[in-house]
Amino acid sequence: MRPLWNREGPRRPRLVVLLLLIVLACPYAAGADTPRIATVDWTIAETLLALGVTPVGVAQTDAYREWVGAPSLPDEVVDIGLRAQPNRELLAQLKLDRILISPMFSPLKPSLERIAPTSTVALYTQGDDLWTRLKKATRKIAAFANREKRADTLLASLEAHLAELRDGLSDAAKARPLLVVQFMDARHVRVFGDHSLYNAVMQRLGLENAWQRETNFWGFSLVGLKALATLDEARLVVVDPMPVGVEESLETSAIWQHLPSVRRGGVLTLPPVWSFGGAPSARRFADNLTQALHQTSRTAAHREAPDA
Amino acid sequence: MRNWISHSLPFPHVIVTPARLCALLALLCLVLSGFSLAMQLPAAQWAEALFAPNSTHIEQIVVHYSWLPRWTIALLAGGALGIAGVLMQQVLRNPLAAPTTLGVATGAQLALLLATLFAPGLLVLGREWVAVAGGGLAMGLVFALAWRRGLAPMVVVLAGLVVNLYLGAVSTTLILFHQEELRGLMVWGAGSLSQNSWDGVLYLLPRLLIALVLAVVMLRPLAILELDDVNARSLGVSLKHLRLVSLGLAVFITACVVSVVGIIGFIGLAAPAIVRLLGARTLPQRLLWAPLLGALLLTTTDQLLQRFSGALPTMIPTGATTAALGAPLLLWLIPRLKLGGDRPQTTAMLTAPRRRHPMRLYLALGVALLVALAASLLLGQDGQGWALPSWSVWQATHEWRLPRTLAAAGAGTLLALAGTLIQRVTGNPMASPEVVGISGGTAIGLIGVVMFVPGVGLATLLIAGTLSALVTLGVLLLINRRSGFQPERVLLTGIAITALFDPLRSIVLANGDPRTQQLLAWMSGSTYYVSTTLAVVVAASAVVLTLALQCLSRWLDLLPMGNSSARALGVNVDRARLALLGVVALLTAAATLVVGPLSFVGLLAPHMARLLGASRARTHLLAAALLGALLMVLADWLGRQWLFPQEIPAGLMSSLLGGAYFMWTLRRL
Repeated sequence: MRPLWNREGPRRPRLVVLLLLIVLACPYAAGADTPRIATVDWTIAETLLALGVTPVGVAQTDAYREWVGAPSLPDEVVDIGLRAQPNRELLAQLKLDRILISPMFSPLKPSLERIAPTSTVALYTQGDDLWTRLKKATRKIAAFANREKRADTLLASLEAHLAELRDGLSDAAKARPLLVVQFMDARHVRVFGDHSLYNAVMQRLGLENAWQRETNFWGFSLVGLKALATLDEARLVVVDPMPVGVEESLETSAIWQHLPSVRRGGVLTLPPVWSFGGAPSARRFADNLTQALHQTSRTAAHREAPDA
Repeated sequence: MRNWISHSLPFPHVIVTPARLCALLALLCLVLSGFSLAMQLPAAQWAEALFAPNSTHIEQIVVHYSWLPRWTIALLAGGALGIAGVLMQQVLRNPLAAPTTLGVATGAQLALLLATLFAPGLLVLGREWVAVAGGGLAMGLVFALAWRRGLAPMVVVLAGLVVNLYLGAVSTTLILFHQEELRGLMVWGAGSLSQNSWDGVLYLLPRLLIALVLAVVMLRPLAILELDDVNARSLGVSLKHLRLVSLGLAVFITACVVSVVGIIGFIGLAAPAIVRLLGARTLPQRLLWAPLLGALLLTTTDQLLQRFSGALPTMIPTGATTAALGAPLLLWLIPRLKLGGDRPQTTAMLTAPRRRHPMRLYLALGVALLVALAASLLLGQDGQGWALPSWSVWQATHEWRLPRTLAAAGAGTLLALAGTLIQRVTGNPMASPEVVGISGGTAIGLIGVVMFVPGVGLATLLIAGTLSALVTLGVLLLINRRSGFQPERVLLTGIAITALFDPLRSIVLANGDPRTQQLLAWMSGSTYYVSTTLAVVVAASAVVLTLALQCLSRWLDLLPMGNSSARALGVNVDRARLALLGVVALLTAAATLVVGPLSFVGLLAPHMARLLGASRARTHLLAAALLGALLMVLADWLGRQWLFPQEIPAGLMSSLLGGAYFMWTLRRL
């Protein structure tokens, strides 16, 4: 702001008017009914942004930008500290209408309650299927932000989009069950199964998940690469980011080189998506996945054509 | 020796020797391995899979490139850690010395964390070299700290402990702030043996052979280390160099293992201790049986684990499991372990000239504490920068700063008192509340509740913590009752209990459950979750206990003089020890509930008090209490301001500050 006021000359009055207009327009544009919300949970933050509401404060904003990425967090959002320990002195100064947390931060509730009404939005907990919970959670967040209608359109367009993507998938793309993994190091991966966001999206897309073993609260199992070897039919889908040095060690990893999917040359690599996200992450994952599937089935068709 | 052992075992007519134990384990291991192979492949294909796998046959590939390398590397790593343990225990004349207790493993882990965050290029060059450098540097730091004292065993162990705590605190801070980036390293840190090719084996095998040859070459001079310093020197052995070379060898072996499979707890400590207990008294005997036992222990554990954990969604890393299984074994062994007594011990108590007028010391410390309290309550930052006291700041003071400051001061005092008591009772400068295991025991209960009861509240946590502290105390008393609470045994019990806590922590971290953030925050000693009521209770009990404990100062003055002197002066030594240990347990449990198990203050405050000249029990207690409160309040305040709005927990902050000071004074001694 300061450089504007320091400028000399006749432009200043115009600027003042402009600023005045902006100031007057701001509450209207942002909606006078938009509550000031802060959240410690990135999934809630991304859902708020998708609903067109900019949260006043989010925990670990730098890490959000790195790990969740989209929808992007505007610069004016205040970093309120670590997710498990948001800075209460800072929160108290933000004049909040509401603080949103998820069940894993529930020990925070009594003390945050003294700053602003604090509500819990549960997504990754035990209970009914994840997609139902995702819709419920999105509606709940929208209700706190006075954006119920926006939530309906968001969810409807998400469902429609997924249905459209599903219809666009060729039979070749659907032929193999998928095994969605994220590398922890060169020897271990998280495999996403039941209760995971990726699994819920795959169900909507009519794609089969090859990982049928039990998963934890968050919908993944942490396993050594060996556990993937016996799933002959599965196509591997690797979600970035790869930890440093892993690609190099996979070159010399005999088990990796002999995995059925690697031998067939059909491994898909997807750009990073927050694995424990909400509706926006679901949409991005669906887009990334279908795009990658289209590409491989096209190249595969291309490769097979001369033979035929 | 053999006689003494066989009578204390449950079946007096069976004589257990290292050879018989190894044979038994080898049989068990072979049976398990056979089962495991049979489940993967029909017996007809075994030979093919083991030696020349058919590359279209994925089961054979898995056996050849994953199962067999894993089996081999378990043997190699277990054996290597056995050798390293024997060397360290021989050199330091201390049954507690082991690769994990001397900071090597922690150093290697920290180096990898730092490289991942700040120089990922180094990891492409070679993870193992980063780990070797880190482990070597940590051990070098331990050497540097103990150099002036000619690497005296007691000082080396003390330095190792401090370096371990310090590097552990730095690692925890990094993990707290970079949880997502470092998640892969958590798996490694918990010690997973899983293999994807023969690379690990081919890396470890030649290095291990070289180390073994070197160890055999050094057998004779090493055996001289059984004598005390004066006698050994009169035989013309340069003790400094001998210790340096053999410890260096042990570090090299450990770092190689750590870089390939991560931190494998306990084997390096347990294997040498067990074979010694079963009658392997001479160094060549121990150097033969300890690696064998280590190898078999690790492989058998790993086979069992692969058999039973396959269906679980959580991965249970082998390194953490050996530690968890080994701890009860160690607890069982402790009453049967013959400690130190027969060999001369070089004790190095830290002392300074006694102060004639303790009043001046109290006054100085009291003023410093008041200034710290005022700063902590009034000075802070808001969104724009440093804020001067104003109405809104006053509100913040009342709402948020007062409970935290009070809790920090109270917990610091309690820990300092506990530390003073235990250092005086055991006459051991490396003793502190976390060493007797009560912090660890409390933490086990709390982690269990947080992991298995979703959305748990603070009240439940408090109850669970208190209960587990009492259970831990019960175990401690039960095991040490027969020996009359001998200091070394109590310390050993504490280390075993803490050894139960570490694997639990690494399993939780390895599985990357997003709830780890909260656990990490608590484990690193944060005052964040303290309520006003709790804070007032803690602070008030700190004041009351400081005054009440003055009554025990007679015991505390007499006990360090030794059992017979104390008894001659009319102290019922056993009862006094029992009472004091009970007080220590309660003090520690109360403090742990507030600021977590990372209580470096309990080690540091009594030390600083002693260095400031507080040598009589009364002065020592009061000065330590003031110092403990001062240290914790400063740590809490700095932790809240340094990386604003992110907060560094007070426990970590005090480890970072206090540890640096402590190493400085240790170096000067």
